[in-house]
Amino acid sequence: MASGQLVFISGGVRSGKSAYAETLVRQAKGARNVYIASGIARDTEMAERIARHRKDRAQDGWWTIEQPQQLSEALPLIRQNDAVLWDCITTWLANELYEGFEQGSLCTDTPGCMELKWQELQNTIDSILAKTVYFAIVSNEVLDEPLVDQAYQEWLGKIHQWLASRADQAIEMENGLAIRRK
Amino acid sequence: MHIVFGGAFNGKRKYVKEQLKHESSLWVESELPGMGESAVIAGLEQWIRKQLEQQRSEQDILALIRELAESSGERIWILTDISRGIVPVDPLEREWRDVTGRSYQYLFGKAQHITRIWYGIPQTIKGDGQDEYLHENRR
Repeated sequence: MASGQLVFISGGVRSGKSAYAETLVRQAKGARNVYIASGIARDTEMAERIARHRKDRAQDGWWTIEQPQQLSEALPLIRQNDAVLWDCITTWLANELYEGFEQGSLCTDTPGCMELKWQELQNTIDSILAKTVYFAIVSNEVLDEPLVDQAYQEWLGKIHQWLASRADQAIEMENGLAIRRK
Repeated sequence: MHIVFGGAFNGKRKYVKEQLKHESSLWVESELPGMGESAVIAGLEQWIRKQLEQQRSEQDILALIRELAESSGERIWILTDISRGIVPVDPLEREWRDVTGRSYQYLFGKAQHITRIWYGIPQTIKGDGQDEYLHENRR
């Protein structure tokens, strides 16, 4: 089965979770450091920020894969013994759950739609682990507040619980401090 | 008195069910049990919200919670953290967070044992001898 280490890192905005995850992945000494980015540029500031991050990482020796949805499409681009960082679950989930916005039929309103994507995600994570030496998954803390979108938060909680139980290490970031919970 | 605390959809109820195993226990959702009754109390924040919607005052709400907590019986309180995020625009939402927070502060002070759940992973934050003094764990 899985040969690589799975690491789950979650924290608030600007908690230093991404920088910490990058350090962990670099230390894993994979054949390549691969960065899967799930953000979508919705305005020019975002587009500039994404381009800047991409350039910074390239200079730092990272391979970036832009994969806002359907993580399985990144699978063929990942090679044996790579070390991989995926940033992050919350943007991916929003992209998947609200897919079909333009067509007026959201995935979140379509029975079975998200279940299918979740099944596929679990399989993809397992497949990435089987190939790589290290797989760090970054996410965000948004469940300690009154519910804004029940479906979104319920899915996020479900995915986080699965990751925490599946992971070799689970880390909560608190203002740059890594709290190892598993 | 035991509190199981954490964000929504973090696996708090699941954890309590596992702890209870086959022990049968009265389980109330968004309700309070009778005074002196042993129970698992889940969804307290929803109960608080209902009271506020029915124009019950904060003072009365806290008094009811206090009276129950001080009565006899063994209770597990499952408390969902709603304290973070942006300040809500709606006054009722704001009041709800405030009253819930003050109720939790009282209950945290009173409980002998508090477990925080982070995506299914438990952590004792009060009541496990020296472990609650987290700074001492570094020694």
